[in-house]
Amino acid sequence: MAELERRTLLKGSVGVAALGASAAALKWGFNTPDRKQNPADCQAKDVSATDKRLIFSNWPEYIDEDDKKYVSTLTQFEKDTGIKVDYTADVNDNNEFFAKVANQLGSCSSSKRDLFALTDWMAAKMIQVGWIQKLDASKVPNLHANIIDSLKSPGWDKKREYSAPWQSGLTGIAYNKKKVGEVKSFSELLTRKDLKGRVTLLTEMRDTMGFMLLLEGADPSNFTDAQWQKAMERLKKADGDGQFRAFTGNDYVQDLASGNVLAAEAWSGDIANAGDDNLVWIPPEEGIMIWADNMLIPNLATHKDNAEEWINYYYEPEVGAKLANYNSYICPVKGAQEAMEKVNPENVHNELIFPTEKTLSQTHGFMALDEAKSRTYEGDFSSVTAS
Amino acid sequence: MTSTAGIAPANPHDSAAPAPRGRKLTGYWLILPAALWLGVFFVIPFYSLVSSSLFDPNGSVLTGYNMTWHFANYVDAINDYKGQLWRSIWYAGLATLACLVIGYVLAYAIAFKAGRWKNLMLVLVIAPFFTSFLLRTLSWKLILADDGWVVGFAQTIHLTNLLNFIGLTGTDDRLLATPFAVIAGLTYNFLPFMVLPLYASLEKIDVRLIEASSDLYASPMRGFFKVTFPLSLPGVVAGTLLTFIPAAGDYINATLLGNTNTKMVGNVIQSLFTTQGDYAAAGALSVTLMAIIVGLVLIYVRTSGTEDLV
Amino acid sequence: MSQLHESTTTDRPASGSRDLRLSGLTKEYAAFTAVKSLDLVMPQGSFFALLGPSGCGKTTTLRMVAGLETPTSGAIHLGDTEITYAKPYKRPVNTVFQNYALFPHLNISKNVAFGLERRGVKNVGQQVADMLELVELTSQAHKKPAQMSGGQQQRVALARALINQPEVLLLDEPLGALDLKLRRGMQLELKRIQTEVGLTFVHVTHDQEEAMTMADTIAVMNQGVIEQMGAPNDLYENPKTTFVANFLGQSNLIEAEIQGREGGQVKVRVQGALASIPTERAHSESGKGWLGIRPEKVLIAEAGHPIDAPGDVITGGFITDVSFVGVSTQYMVKMPWGQELMVFEQNTGARRMLPVGTKVDVSWRPEYAFLLDASQDAKAGIEED
Repeated sequence: MAELERRTLLKGSVGVAALGASAAALKWGFNTPDRKQNPADCQAKDVSATDKRLIFSNWPEYIDEDDKKYVSTLTQFEKDTGIKVDYTADVNDNNEFFAKVANQLGSCSSSKRDLFALTDWMAAKMIQVGWIQKLDASKVPNLHANIIDSLKSPGWDKKREYSAPWQSGLTGIAYNKKKVGEVKSFSELLTRKDLKGRVTLLTEMRDTMGFMLLLEGADPSNFTDAQWQKAMERLKKADGDGQFRAFTGNDYVQDLASGNVLAAEAWSGDIANAGDDNLVWIPPEEGIMIWADNMLIPNLATHKDNAEEWINYYYEPEVGAKLANYNSYICPVKGAQEAMEKVNPENVHNELIFPTEKTLSQTHGFMALDEAKSRTYEGDFSSVTAS
Repeated sequence: MTSTAGIAPANPHDSAAPAPRGRKLTGYWLILPAALWLGVFFVIPFYSLVSSSLFDPNGSVLTGYNMTWHFANYVDAINDYKGQLWRSIWYAGLATLACLVIGYVLAYAIAFKAGRWKNLMLVLVIAPFFTSFLLRTLSWKLILADDGWVVGFAQTIHLTNLLNFIGLTGTDDRLLATPFAVIAGLTYNFLPFMVLPLYASLEKIDVRLIEASSDLYASPMRGFFKVTFPLSLPGVVAGTLLTFIPAAGDYINATLLGNTNTKMVGNVIQSLFTTQGDYAAAGALSVTLMAIIVGLVLIYVRTSGTEDLV
Repeated sequence: MSQLHESTTTDRPASGSRDLRLSGLTKEYAAFTAVKSLDLVMPQGSFFALLGPSGCGKTTTLRMVAGLETPTSGAIHLGDTEITYAKPYKRPVNTVFQNYALFPHLNISKNVAFGLERRGVKNVGQQVADMLELVELTSQAHKKPAQMSGGQQQRVALARALINQPEVLLLDEPLGALDLKLRRGMQLELKRIQTEVGLTFVHVTHDQEEAMTMADTIAVMNQGVIEQMGAPNDLYENPKTTFVANFLGQSNLIEAEIQGREGGQVKVRVQGALASIPTERAHSESGKGWLGIRPEKVLIAEAGHPIDAPGDVITGGFITDVSFVGVSTQYMVKMPWGQELMVFEQNTGARRMLPVGTKVDVSWRPEYAFLLDASQDAKAGIEED
C-alpha cells in the first residue's frame, strides 16, 4: 500500500510540476509574434556596387538555359553587367515559401535573398505586412514603359511600386477533345450531365471563385459579401450534385490526358506545355482570370540595385521575347511580340504568349483581400474543397 | 527523489527488503536518455500543438497568435468538422478491417505455407516501401482509370453496381474518386504494417499446438479459431493499431484517390495549417483527433485483453 | 475411475476386439525411409512401448497412428475399422505430446475441456473436475500452463488426452523433459492410471528403463523396422539381436565357435573353453556366433578359488577397473584374448571387494547365456554418452 501511495504521490507531484511548467510554456513558449514590419525600418546597406551579386529565388523550370549555340538571358545579363546571379529554383508553393521566410521577414531580419517571385495574392499579402521594399522608379524605367496594360495596375499595387511581373498566365478551361464534345463556358462545367464527376477545379481560391463570381455577374476585382455568398452557394450545390471529381493543383493535366477527367479549370501554360494535341485550352465565355508571378525585393536585401537592374533588363522587349519563347507563358513586356520575329517567328502569333487585345480585355484580376477577409474566404472555400 | 523518504510510513513488506539508496537512483539515471528522447520528440512538440489549439482564434499568421486558453476552439472544431472526423474513423476502420483480412491470409501463408519462399515473400511485402508513398498512390490512379481495364472488368462483373449498392462508390460506374478508392488506397498503403506484426506472431506459434488441436477433435477451421487466432492476437492488436492510427490521420489517399466529398480530417488539418493559416482551429482539430484515437485504442486494447497473453 | 472404464467400454461395439493393427505400414521421405513395412498388433487394453534410439521411426509410426502423418503405404486398423487416412480429428485416438503442447492462452481446465468441447459435449464441468482430481491438479484449475512446473504440465497433458476416453492413447516421450526423480514418479503414476482406465496405451520412448518399467509389451525399433518384440523380461533375458542385447541393458558379447547341438543345448567353443547355451536361446546354429551374457549374470572369484555356483568357467582374467555403486560393484575384467568383460556383483557382503590387478576366473550358468549371429555388429545399439 505504501509503495502504491508513494508512487501515486510521486506521479502526482511530477504531474503538478509538469502542469506548472506547461502552463508557463504555454504562456511564453509557443505564442506566435506579430509579423507586421515597416519596410522603411528594415533596410540594409546596399553593397551592390562592391559586391556584384544577386540572389534570386524563382519557381522551377521558369527560365531559359544555355544550349550549344544559345546564350540564355541570364548568361547575357551576367556578361553585360558583370553581376553574378545566384539563381535558385526553391519556390514550389506560395504558402510553403511564405512559411520558409516568415520567421526572418516577420522579425525584421534578413531572408538572405535579394529577389523572389510570388503569385499575385501572396505578393499582395507580403506587401501589406511590410516585408517588401519599394522599387526605385528611376532604376526600372523599362518596367513602367513596357509593362502590358492588363498587368499595369492590379488592385494591390496600383502603380507597380513594389512588384514587377516575371511571367503571367491565364486561367480558363481545358478539355480533352478526343473524349468529349466542345466545352465553351465555365457554367457548362457546373451543369453539363455528360461531364458529371469528370470535372476538376483548381484549389486556388482566387481562380475558381473568380469564375464563380463572374457567373453571378459580379466583378472579381470588386465584389460584395452578398455576391460572394451567392457564388459559394452555387459552388456547394454543384459539388453536392457530384459534378466535381476533385479540386487540384496542376496535377489535373495527367487526369485530363488519361481521360479520367473530361474538362477542367486550367492554366494556359500547363496545357501549352503538356504537348498533347487532344487537350484544348479555351477562354471561357464568362471571362478569363489573369494572374502573374511577381518579382519582389524583400526587406534587408543587400543587392537592391542589382535586383532593379535585373528587373529593368527583363523588361527589354528582346529579353522578354527570349524568355517567353522558352516558357510559353504570357509575356508581360510590350514590344516583345515584334522582337519575337527575330527570336522565333513561329511564336509571333502564339495566342498563349501574346493574347489578342480582345482576349486581354476579357481578363479579370482578383480583389485584394485583407488578412481577415482572406481567411474568411479561404475558410468558406475550403469547406467545399476539403469537405 | 529525496522527498520520497519522508512520505508514508513503511509497511512490513516495504521495510522487509529495503533497497540501497544508490541503486534506486541508478534506475532514474537509466531512464534519462529515454526521458530526453521523449521530451525532445514528443513532449515539446505536443505542448506546442496543445498551446496552438488554445490560441485566440482572432489572431492570424501575420498579426501573431496569443495563447488565451480559448477552449471554445475545440467546440468549434468538433462542430465544424465532425463529418470529416467521423469519416476518417470510418474509412480507417474499414481499411484496417480489409488489411486484417488480407494481411492475415498473407501472413499465414508466409508463416506456414511459404517454405523456402518465405524470405522472398517477406521482401515482396516490404518492397513497396522502396518507392515513395506519393508515387505508389499516384500509380493507383492509372490502374483504376475510368477507361482502364480494371474498371471495365469491374463493370462487367457488376462489382461497380455492388459497391454502389453498399454505398462505397457513386452511381457513375467508376472506381476512382470514390470512397472505395480512398479505402482501397489506405488498405494498400498500410498493408505491410499489418502483415509484419501478424507474421511475427504467427511465426512464433508452435505448430505442435495446431497438431494438438487437431488431435483433440478440432477441425482445421475450429482449430484456427480456437488456437491459431487467439495465439496471434498480439500480432492482430499490434497490426490493427499500426494500420488504424496512421490511416485515420492520412490525407494523401483522400487527396489523390477521393473526390470532393471524401476528404478526411487530415485534409482539413492540412488546409487549416497551410492554406488558411488558422492555427487555432488546426491545433484543436489535431488534438481532438489524437484524443479520439487514444480513446479508441485504450478501449480496444482493454477489450481485446492482450495483456493476458503469454 | 471404474466408471470411466465402463463408459469407455460401452462406447465400443460389443463384438470383436479393438486391437490396434499396423500392416505393412511404410513412410518414405525424399531422402530416406523412416518406417519400413511395419506389421504390428497392439492388443486392446495393453500398455505397448515402441522403444528405440532417435531416428528409428518410432515417432513417425506414432504420428501415423495419430493421423498427423500420412503413410506412404500400408494400413492402420482399429478393430475392424480402417483409420489409415482418417483425419486426425476424426480418430478415437489422443496424444500426449512431447513437451506437452498445452495451449498457452487457455487455463488448465479449459485445456482439459478442449477435446470434449470440440466434440460438442455440453456441461463438461464435472468431467473436467473428475479428471483434474485423477491427476491431482484440482487446485490448479485456473492457472495458465506457463505458471506450472514440468511435472504438472505433463499431468495436464495426460488429463487433456484421457478425458476424451480415446480407444488408444499415444504418448510421445511424455517424460523426456522431466528430471530423473520426477520421471520415476510419473512412470508409476502413468502405469497406475493405465491400469485404472484400461485403455490401450502406445508409448514411444528411447529410455529402455522407462519402457521396461511401464510396458506390457515392448517393440524395439531400429532403422525403421522392429528388431524384436515381447514382454520386457523376455526381451531382456533372451535378446535375438546384438542391437536388442546392447540397447536393452548391457551385454558381454564373446566371440564363439559353434560346435553343434547336443540334446537341448548348443555347444560352443569360447577362446579354448567349452560352453553351452539352451537351444531356445541360441539364435545361430553353425559357424561363428556371439555368446552373450548379462554382466549381472557373470560370477567372479580370485584365481583358483572355487566359484559358488556350477557353470561354464573361463580362467585367466585380471581386474582392470572397479567401481562401487552402492548396491553393487562393477568390475572390468581383462580376459586372456584381450576383451574386457563387465561384471556386476551384488554387495551382499559375502566377500571383500577385489582390488584392481587381482587375477580372477569368471563363470556363468549356461541357462543365462544366449547365442547371436556373428554377422551382426557386436556394438549395435550401444548408446554413446
